[in-house]
Amino acid sequence: MTTVDPPDLTLWPTIRHLYPLWRAQWRLVSVGLSCALGFTILSLLIPILIQRTIDDAIDGGDRSLLVPYLVAIVAVATLRFAINFTRRYATARIGVTVEARLRSKLYDAYLRYPRAFYDRHATGEVISRATNDIYPVRYFIGWGVVQAIQSVLMLVGAAIVLAVVNWQLALTAAVAMPPIAVLAYFFAHRVFPISREVQRKKGHLTEASDEAVVGIEMVQAFGREDDVRDRFSDRAEAVRHETMRQASVEARFLPGLVFLPTLGIAAVLLVGGREAIAGNLTIGQFTLFVTLLLQLVWPLEALGWIINLGQRATAAASRSFAWLDGIESLPEPERPVALPEGALPVRFEGVHFTYPTGGEVLSGIDLDAAPGEIVAVCGATGAGKTSLLQLLPRFYDPTAGRVLLGGVDARDVPLTELRRAVAVVTQRPVLFSVPLRDNLLAARPDADWADVLDACEAAGVAEFVDDLPDGYDTLIGERGVNLSGGQRQRVALARALIAGSRVLVLDDPMSAVDTETERHLVENLRSAVAGRTVLISGQRLSTVLVADRAVVLRDGKLVEQGFPDELIRAGGPFAELFGEEALAA
Amino acid sequence: MKARRTGLSRLWRYTEGRRRRLAIVLALAAVSAAAPVAMWHVVGDAIDNGIRAGDTARLTEDVVAYVAIGVVAWLLGTATWLMLAGIGQRMVLELRRDLFEHLTSLSLRYFSEQKAGWIIARLTSDVDALSDVLNQGLTTLVVNTLTLVAAIGGLFLLDWRLGLVALLVLPPGIVVTRWFQRRSHAAFSDVRTRIAAVTAQLAESVAGMAVVQAFNRERAFQREFEELNEANRVSNTYAQKLSSVFFPAIELLGVVAQVAVLYAGARLIDGGSLEIGTLIAAVGMLSLVFQPLQELSELYGQVQAASAAMGKISTVLDAEHDIVDRPGARDLGRIDGRLQLDRIVFAYGEEPVIHGLELEIPAGGCIALVGESGGGKSTTAKLVARFYDPDDGAVRVDGTDLRDVRLRSYRRQLGVVLQDPFLFSGTIADNIRFARPDATDAEVAAAAHAIGVDRVASRFEDGLDHVVREGGAGLSAGERQLISIARALVADPRILILDEATSNIDRPTEVLIERAFDTLLRGRTSIIIAHRLTTVRRADEILVMERGRITQRGTFDDLVAVEGPFRRLATTLQGVTTRRVA
Repeated sequence: MTTVDPPDLTLWPTIRHLYPLWRAQWRLVSVGLSCALGFTILSLLIPILIQRTIDDAIDGGDRSLLVPYLVAIVAVATLRFAINFTRRYATARIGVTVEARLRSKLYDAYLRYPRAFYDRHATGEVISRATNDIYPVRYFIGWGVVQAIQSVLMLVGAAIVLAVVNWQLALTAAVAMPPIAVLAYFFAHRVFPISREVQRKKGHLTEASDEAVVGIEMVQAFGREDDVRDRFSDRAEAVRHETMRQASVEARFLPGLVFLPTLGIAAVLLVGGREAIAGNLTIGQFTLFVTLLLQLVWPLEALGWIINLGQRATAAASRSFAWLDGIESLPEPERPVALPEGALPVRFEGVHFTYPTGGEVLSGIDLDAAPGEIVAVCGATGAGKTSLLQLLPRFYDPTAGRVLLGGVDARDVPLTELRRAVAVVTQRPVLFSVPLRDNLLAARPDADWADVLDACEAAGVAEFVDDLPDGYDTLIGERGVNLSGGQRQRVALARALIAGSRVLVLDDPMSAVDTETERHLVENLRSAVAGRTVLISGQRLSTVLVADRAVVLRDGKLVEQGFPDELIRAGGPFAELFGEEALAA
Repeated sequence: MKARRTGLSRLWRYTEGRRRRLAIVLALAAVSAAAPVAMWHVVGDAIDNGIRAGDTARLTEDVVAYVAIGVVAWLLGTATWLMLAGIGQRMVLELRRDLFEHLTSLSLRYFSEQKAGWIIARLTSDVDALSDVLNQGLTTLVVNTLTLVAAIGGLFLLDWRLGLVALLVLPPGIVVTRWFQRRSHAAFSDVRTRIAAVTAQLAESVAGMAVVQAFNRERAFQREFEELNEANRVSNTYAQKLSSVFFPAIELLGVVAQVAVLYAGARLIDGGSLEIGTLIAAVGMLSLVFQPLQELSELYGQVQAASAAMGKISTVLDAEHDIVDRPGARDLGRIDGRLQLDRIVFAYGEEPVIHGLELEIPAGGCIALVGESGGGKSTTAKLVARFYDPDDGAVRVDGTDLRDVRLRSYRRQLGVVLQDPFLFSGTIADNIRFARPDATDAEVAAAAHAIGVDRVASRFEDGLDHVVREGGAGLSAGERQLISIARALVADPRILILDEATSNIDRPTEVLIERAFDTLLRGRTSIIIAHRLTTVRRADEILVMERGRITQRGTFDDLVAVEGPFRRLATTLQGVTTRRVA
């Protein structure tokens, strides 16, 4: 059994996964990086030009230089505007594109994941991993990486300029650097586990809201609103508590990152001021020192933010990549075998099945179903009917034994071909928020409309379609018409009939249908499925009676089989299940 | 200004009780915002009165002042950060609690009209968007706004003439900002619409994945998703492009202002009315005007998202309760369980689905509702549970109109089992004692045994302590029904509603359950809705419902004996049986 809940990746594997996504955008990345370099150079040039203006034109006295210098500054600033725009736009595009790619990757994977994955993970979690969780990744990979490089360039560039102007003073100003590095390191170290915890706590909160909203009818029916409120409230408080812990770390470190450069400026004032008095430093150079050091505050602050963002991004990405890496879709056969042409008999051979969460559900089932035959799978609640039926479309694979279609092991058939050959009606019918017509055509978009109408007649959809506002074009679902449980089941049944598959799996397809409609369905079903291999399960005798043969499951074993009428008279397990109902009717 | 009340200003209510703290933080923030301005002042003074005057003592004094201001700003920065986060997170917590409380008290009508995913997003991602703004955003907003004000004030104090010159860039600045606001407002709201479409598609595919896979629909879904995802990317790219123009433009204007000040400053120095240090301080302060402007603009998108989020949250907060206790409603003591439905008319929309329904169930009585889907059986049950109020007529329990009693006191005496029961995450035992958390282990075990849940639980290592995941994955539909029946049993209700509660349960188990009910629910009122006719045989009276009216009533034997709707329902089964047997 493959794992469906792999542990989060650690830092390095996460980065190894992120890197190719980033590198795939190499054009934009190189544009962004060259612009970052250009931006840094021009940003250093402007204070230098201002220094020259002060020293040569204002304080120096040669007024004729003033206008040319100022024009030069405006020209450089205009060029910087163009470069800065290009850099921002390029990096933003990197982020937006990586976001779209990553989401698309996850969605593709979702489409391939086995049922066991969806048994294990709540819908909200699956959705949020492809939406909210991606945003930190987007901002980090887009804005963060290039900004981090630009911050470093700015630091280096400023250091070079200052060293050239006056290296002793530059060294003095550098006093603030080591503590900044230490502070940044500790900040990163402290905030990482907390931001992970914040995300975890938010997950718990989502779970609590999910449950209360989806289960609201139960909550209200029993008047237990206070209980779910307490639970939600506790979890919301846990989120607050954790967020505050994060804020307190940020509050202790980030203002410090702004303050420390101030110490550098103070050192310049103290030492540089004396140099200036001594005539070793011009007023303009002095100003340049102060300006450049202040100009470093934002890149340093940005580094702090990027570290923070990087933590959140890798935390989120580590979970996504753990899924992409660790969860295997159902394996496709290495040497695929095509299903034989024509009718498809079905055979279960010594089939055992165990869910990852519990004990064995099926223990050695042998069962044959011939083409043109309707086999009813009966049994008490929890006997394993649904589990058995779900092996046919390979929602799960048996833990031992084989499921054969036309003599071919289901695992040897390409998944698409297998599922084209097997149409299912699940216990809880799922319809999509598209027009009724498209729901019906889901399995075979090119189906002949006359066939569709026939199937709708047989499945009892035709009976209520005229009551719908737009007939077959009525939009179904939350934004359209809400069909009743029985109506949904009938649409699902019609959809399966239209699929034209050679094998039909009907898992209690009429449980929500009223008796009269059920009678109609049972009468029509036989001719509608003629020539196909049909397995049907049900809890009502009226459903089961549609079958040619019934088999009874008990404790994961097949305990009885035969013609339904004979089985009732036989007084065995089947009669135990349905006998009373037969008498009543 | 009605429109604004749905926006962020609604948050103001949540500052109640902490406004004094908020005022203190604002005062502290104002001081810390003035710090960088004061520091430039000190630099100007150091140049003019220290360096120029050759006064090293003055220079040292300035350095001390500079560091002192820096330290104060640092401490204040930490304090305001912490306090603002504290206030903001408390506000978020209260908002979340209010929202949740309001939501859980809304009627089923609301939940049937809104998608679950939509509602959950209000509680989570929307509140998170507000939380982000209140956390980082509030600090940025407060400090930068104040810095901006302080820098402009400081500039004018330093030299009003230079201040006026700097204001030259104000008109183009306003024009650019207005342009950006207009464009980006539209762009960001487009981005939100597109991402909502992506999320909706994602939610639908995840919920219906079994069918998507069973019918090989993966490619079609992938294509559809790609389209939406791509549209979102394009829309996002455009919004980012706008921001990419705007911020560098503001930066450019900042430099232009500095150049203008330098030019004017040089002239003023010639005139002798300006010192070089003052000019340098003025240029420095200008950078303090433009940097906050940038950071504020960066915040703009965040604030817009938060404001949109608050708008959506408001639609939930403003959703009105349609099930309200009448003024003076009283708590209901232990009831006998006599139910009267008095000439009830009810419509979900325009068309009534119940037409003048008359029904009386004596205390301890058991009635069954049968008939075709859409006949109004479930609606009747929902009216009894007061998930809805009738449009006309009344539902009375022990002679009291349900609208005159406190809802909670009534519902606590009610047990409801539905066809597709919801299981909460927790153990099987937790689910059984959901309605009565103080039920003892023995009571839970007894109920589990009576209903046959113990047989289900024996499949798992931990038995009744087996943890079920939300929704009950890993359990069959029938097993979930068994657990929810045990839950209703433990609730010890006076009135029990079984709405297709055993449709996925085999008949022998159902008989077992009925026997358990026979003894355990003796003296309690019950309403059974079922398609399986054997299920309804035990009812004192069977009512056939068709198109919102009762068309036939009587005991099982009476109804079978006469020609009528019930016979038709019954004989359809008979017909199938005889045909097959023959």
